[in-house]
Amino acid sequence: MIRGEADRQADVVRLLEASREVYARRAELAPDIVASSGLSPQGVLLGFESLERAASAADLRALVAAAGDAPCVHVILSANVFVAPLRALAVARAAASNVTVRPSRRDPWLARALVAAAADPALVLAERADVSAIARGEIHVYGRRETIAAVRSMARPGVRVRGHGPGIGIAVVTRAGNLASCAAELARDVAVFDQRGCLSPRAVAVEGGIDRARALAEALHAAFEALQALVPLGEVAPAERAQAASWRDAMAFAGGVWSSEHHAVGLAARGGLWAIPPPGRNVSVIPLDSLSGLRAELGPFASEVTAIGSDAPAQVGPFAPSHVRLSTLGEMQRPPLDGPVDRRKNE
Amino acid sequence: MTPSLVHSAALHSRARAMIAAFERGDAMPEPFDALAIDLARFQAAQVPGYARLCAARGLRMPELARADEAPAVPADAFKLAPVFAFDAAAAAITFRTSGTTLGARGAHSMRDASTYDAAAVASGRAMLFAGMAAPVAVLVVGPSALEAPDSSLAHMCDLFARAFGPRGASDVHFVRRGSLAVPALRDRIAGLAGSPAVLLSTSFALVHLLEELAGAGLTLPEGSRVMLTGGTKGRSREVSADALRRDVAHTFGVSERAVIGEYGMTELSSQFWEATAVRADARPGVYVEPPWARVVPVDPESLRPVAEGDVGIARIEDLANVDSAWAVQTQDRVRRASGGFELLGRAPGAPARGCSLSLDEMLGQAP
Repeated sequence: MIRGEADRQADVVRLLEASREVYARRAELAPDIVASSGLSPQGVLLGFESLERAASAADLRALVAAAGDAPCVHVILSANVFVAPLRALAVARAAASNVTVRPSRRDPWLARALVAAAADPALVLAERADVSAIARGEIHVYGRRETIAAVRSMARPGVRVRGHGPGIGIAVVTRAGNLASCAAELARDVAVFDQRGCLSPRAVAVEGGIDRARALAEALHAAFEALQALVPLGEVAPAERAQAASWRDAMAFAGGVWSSEHHAVGLAARGGLWAIPPPGRNVSVIPLDSLSGLRAELGPFASEVTAIGSDAPAQVGPFAPSHVRLSTLGEMQRPPLDGPVDRRKNE
Repeated sequence: MTPSLVHSAALHSRARAMIAAFERGDAMPEPFDALAIDLARFQAAQVPGYARLCAARGLRMPELARADEAPAVPADAFKLAPVFAFDAAAAAITFRTSGTTLGARGAHSMRDASTYDAAAVASGRAMLFAGMAAPVAVLVVGPSALEAPDSSLAHMCDLFARAFGPRGASDVHFVRRGSLAVPALRDRIAGLAGSPAVLLSTSFALVHLLEELAGAGLTLPEGSRVMLTGGTKGRSREVSADALRRDVAHTFGVSERAVIGEYGMTELSSQFWEATAVRADARPGVYVEPPWARVVPVDPESLRPVAEGDVGIARIEDLANVDSAWAVQTQDRVRRASGGFELLGRAPGAPARGCSLSLDEMLGQAP
């Protein structure tokens, strides 16, 4: 049976209904997600605000167009933020009339809850996935690069593998941006999922030179202090704490660091977006003379950047890599449901 | 000469006095901490980044009483900011780290490389060339410093060829224009006529040389030695240190104790050596510091020294790094052992949580 666009959109809409049902139960689900994700309880509730529960007609059309067509899709969720299953299932369900999903072993709760709430016979949980036994269709794998490479190596000929790997977000504050409000919005984008998402900003380029960059760093430090009282930082692994200690010292050397027990803001006086901090609540601030220098500043990192948030995304757009998602600051973690979050080539 | 250059020159002299005393077998002319504290104060005054790092730790230099209270400069800082105590135009030589796919290359500039050279030759004489009659044929399975002018390793190997090899020797390097020159190396070894030689190489180059030889021997004269440095992780083929040592010994016809490991970094001026050529009780895998340098395992988070025998990451204090960073914080895991330290590889990355790019992935070191 050939599914038309309307059928595909309807299947996604039913998934969004399930998402709203799951969202309504978020307090009940939160303890398991706190334990598996390491986020604080408040952090989990903040993360739920990024769970897609609606989509415009235009976004649905775009999602269906981006999803393509397959007889069946096998979704493998390996390493992702806890709300990621909704979009992964929406893309898969738009593409195929049969979908199986293997939830992340570490963080299976949302995928299980969505599948249960959807009650869609075409959407089936598979707690184990034998990639080499999949005979047709597509595999959509979300995880680390080595996981994607392993799935590709095991997939049978003719089975299409779409890999969605890790990435980073960055922020750009233009010359006209209000530093205090930009800092507050950026702090929120950082705090959602404690920087563990591929859209999470890890660095901010500040147009207007070193003094403005320093002022933004100070404002961001203050914003993190305020946010900690509302949404405490979650669990940080010892190796990440060690990486953060080393990064803080490197940034203190390179330009300056403003930090507390829960966050750090480092200023790279001479540029160098490569000084990306470990996840948690750590941000590199890089001075930028003008937006036209953004691509040069990104250098080889351009291909790793999945999202750019800015006070003026339309101004930044012409200077950004073509694949990135652009949004206003404070909205980086809530992209429209118009396809995979990561627009880089995935095959 | 500006006051800072006068100060720098005086500190270089004190570092070289230590090196000279070591060469003579004399006691050190001053305590390690005395020079270390003066270097820390000098660098805090002349290197803005170090001043900021000390300030971030709340350290007031006039009150510095012990060297270990002064922070070490993270090795990554060499990629981010100038780490030198002089005007950039005065740099006589700049060594650069090899870099990664995404990372910038670190730069270590020196105004006066003579302290580096003196330290390298003194350590090399004591640990690698010890007991060998001069001159010794030096064979470098690596590029010359002319071909790789920003490689500190190429600089050191050339230095050894000049210091320990025959005067004016020309047939020294066996990586030419980026390729292994195996026939030339074979001819050179055949022409040694029984005189011991020292072959200097990276582990990576030796792995490739062994592959090209495909099991064939390339026997060095009796009494020869082979220097190994660097790992093979992240390369096309990873080989364990023990297996490589065994294969190298077999291929070159030397004992495993004559395969001597060196540990160095672009960011340093001193090197550390296995002592298997000079001490009967020395274990392979244990590296020994010269008296002007020390390796302190520290806790990765607090950066405080760990208990004796525990594993930490290496804080390397190098008094020959006069104009850059007297203490460098690495991410290499080490443990004190038998008068030296064991090198245990890079600190492990954090387990993956979520889909953000990890630092290991950024550096091309994903497990």
